[in-house]
Amino acid sequence: MTVNNQGGSEPFILFELAGTTYGVRSRFVQQVEMVEHVTPVPNASAAVEGVVFARGQVVPALSLRARFGFEKMPFDLRTRLVVVNTGARVVGLLVDTAREFVRISAESIEPPPDTITGLSGKYLEGIASLAGGRLVLILNLDEVLDLEGMQASDDATGETSGT
Amino acid sequence: MPTSNPDNEEGEFFGQFLNEYYAECDEHLTLVRRNLLALEAQVGRPQVDHALLDELFRSFHTLKGISAMVGLSAAEQLAHHLESYLRALRQQEAALDTRGLETLLTATSLLEQVIGARRDEKPSPDIGVVVEQLEALTLSGSPEPAPESSRADAPPHAAPANGAAAKRTWRVEFTPTPALAERGVNVNSVRARLQGLGEIVRATPQVRKQGEIAFLFVVATDAAESAFGGWEADGLTVAPFEEEAPAAVATAAPAPAVTLGAANVVRVDLARLDELMRMVGELVVSRARLEDQLKGLKRGGVPAATWRPLQETSHTIGRQLRDLRDGVMRVRMVQIGETFERMQFVVRDLTREGGKRVTLKTEGRETEIDKFLVERMTDPLMHLVRNAVTHGLETPAEREARGKFAEGRIKLCAATRGERVFVEVEDDGRGIDRARVAARAAARGLVEPGASLSDAALLDVLCAPGFSTRDEADRGSGRGVGMDVVRNTVEELGGSLLLETKRGRGTRFVVELPLTLALTEALIVGAGGQRFAVPQSAVREVFEAEPGAVKRFENNEVVAHRGGALPLVRLARLFNLEGEGQGAARVFVLGGGGGAGALGVVVDRVIGQREIVVRRIADPLARAAGVAGATELGDGRVVLILDVAALRQLAAGRL
Repeated sequence: MTVNNQGGSEPFILFELAGTTYGVRSRFVQQVEMVEHVTPVPNASAAVEGVVFARGQVVPALSLRARFGFEKMPFDLRTRLVVVNTGARVVGLLVDTAREFVRISAESIEPPPDTITGLSGKYLEGIASLAGGRLVLILNLDEVLDLEGMQASDDATGETSGT
Repeated sequence: MPTSNPDNEEGEFFGQFLNEYYAECDEHLTLVRRNLLALEAQVGRPQVDHALLDELFRSFHTLKGISAMVGLSAAEQLAHHLESYLRALRQQEAALDTRGLETLLTATSLLEQVIGARRDEKPSPDIGVVVEQLEALTLSGSPEPAPESSRADAPPHAAPANGAAAKRTWRVEFTPTPALAERGVNVNSVRARLQGLGEIVRATPQVRKQGEIAFLFVVATDAAESAFGGWEADGLTVAPFEEEAPAAVATAAPAPAVTLGAANVVRVDLARLDELMRMVGELVVSRARLEDQLKGLKRGGVPAATWRPLQETSHTIGRQLRDLRDGVMRVRMVQIGETFERMQFVVRDLTREGGKRVTLKTEGRETEIDKFLVERMTDPLMHLVRNAVTHGLETPAEREARGKFAEGRIKLCAATRGERVFVEVEDDGRGIDRARVAARAAARGLVEPGASLSDAALLDVLCAPGFSTRDEADRGSGRGVGMDVVRNTVEELGGSLLLETKRGRGTRFVVELPLTLALTEALIVGAGGQRFAVPQSAVREVFEAEPGAVKRFENNEVVAHRGGALPLVRLARLFNLEGEGQGAARVFVLGGGGGAGALGVVVDRVIGQREIVVRRIADPLARAAGVAGATELGDGRVVLILDVAALRQLAAGRL
């Protein structure tokens, strides 16, 4: 994903997942919604919680917890569905909560350090340090939504969500 | 202040413009194909119908112009040479012979490929050879070659304007750069600046060789040239505008009778119609809710005098909704004739290469079908037609030896029956060799060795993924899709595929499709705590089986029904849902149409019958075997629509 903002800053939506703050460029975010009911899809990938309507469109609700290898959690009032639209695809990301909207300048985003390898490193485009030393992991949506990667991790755990 | 992203905006603008370009090309190519086929009948005559040549000329002229605007120079050149040849034909500098017509056809196909390649972002095919052929043809008939009409790099220019007007027309080109955008000079500000001066006649984006985007404006203004002073610093170049107008058009007065009634036609993006259809669907859902509430009133003992007027109003709304739905549906309908014309081209191409002789007959060209369905069906139909020519028909010698006409016959027909459309592809060729297919299928473990295949079983084998009746995919039928894709596409669209074949007599494929996709009657069922919708057309009956009537053996279940044994599958188990009720089984029966056996599907509850709005599941993450789409029943929750064909396959894997 190329970033073309000529050294300026860009708005991001921040969300929390298992105690860590993540960011996704707000131009890719179509809407953020509370989660009411997700219809399970039989024999779908383990990370796919099901489907919901978003602006009249049927979109998959992807559990980022499952995708990143964390324990799934039941939905509560704080749970949010961050519906991202990459141009090619529209997918809802289930996150613990999402409340913040910040501008992050391009120079404060650094590539993920080499020490983060394996599963989680691949999903990151970079790490931003905000004022006050707060760290935000910037998502690489293409990788997060990558189908083959998801099938590979299904094969590795040998399960698909049935319920 | 939020930083706007000029690149993005312009990219979007350009993308939209390109879509319009493809749609326009499509329209013109359709017209060209139709006219070329008409022209074919006139080959060799001393005088060819002028109106036809005029129309073709105009189509290519437009194609040339719009291709130039989007910077697709291969298409522009090809169209230019086609135009030149037609000009020569019109002026009787060249005569139309078979070779000429063949070249016109080849060049048109190539033009289509060039445009298609751009749309699919694939490398463009080479146009050199065809351009040379066209040039040779253009020059052959004329003793003194007309150089201005035979060179691609010299577009004809006419004198600027019609003199007298005080207004002058200017050509203003704007090349956006990040530096300019920083200073607030972007396409919008340029547009505003030009609007301040006069009228913008035309605004078109162009892609330069380096992939740069530039914008071309044509402005009519009475401002003096000095008004443009200093514009160059803002990335703008200004020059007097010269309209490209081929002199030849003027010589033959255009016949008004042949022009398209373009003024009365609105081109609408299919997505917008989908949106409209979706809204109608939502109204249908709302009315269903109103009906439910009315039922509640009636049950609650409210006096009839209170609910009856409401009931009447609700019925009126229901009727009006049906009218509205029919109206929207009618807008989406197009005639299938256009698709048939494409097939004529496919047949021509194949016969020229394959040494076969074919006449293609079409019937029911005026049959109307949903635009979306037509588009999705074009490739599969093309595959069936290719198969008919390459595999179905014998060579002329073989045919004569069998006492048939040397010329093979392929018939394409379309007809509407009720809410369904039937499209048939029929040939009078050799028929499918059942024994040979059975042997190959047995070798691959698809059927028992020595099995005899019914038409339906034969089709199943032919549609097995990767199965082909020839060992190597030849040029004719190996392109694009296979039989498995044909059947999948048809079934995805809610239709079915049928096959009839007789040895030595021919083969017929019947594609049955719904008239339109968006709304359908469905049976709503519950299983594993979840609701599902089953297309009503696939359900033959619903019944309740007594607990004792279901017999198990090994992993299979059957129930005695209508004097036979009906195999059962449990939806909850098929979908790995929790809880599969072991008590009385509610069963819906999937009909045994097309030779396939009936199948009973066990669910926990049968909720009722409803008209549902079919919504596509676009993202691959949410697609699953056995699920055809999704709908909503008024509570905002997604209800999955079962894919009956896939369900059968899932069941077959389990039974």
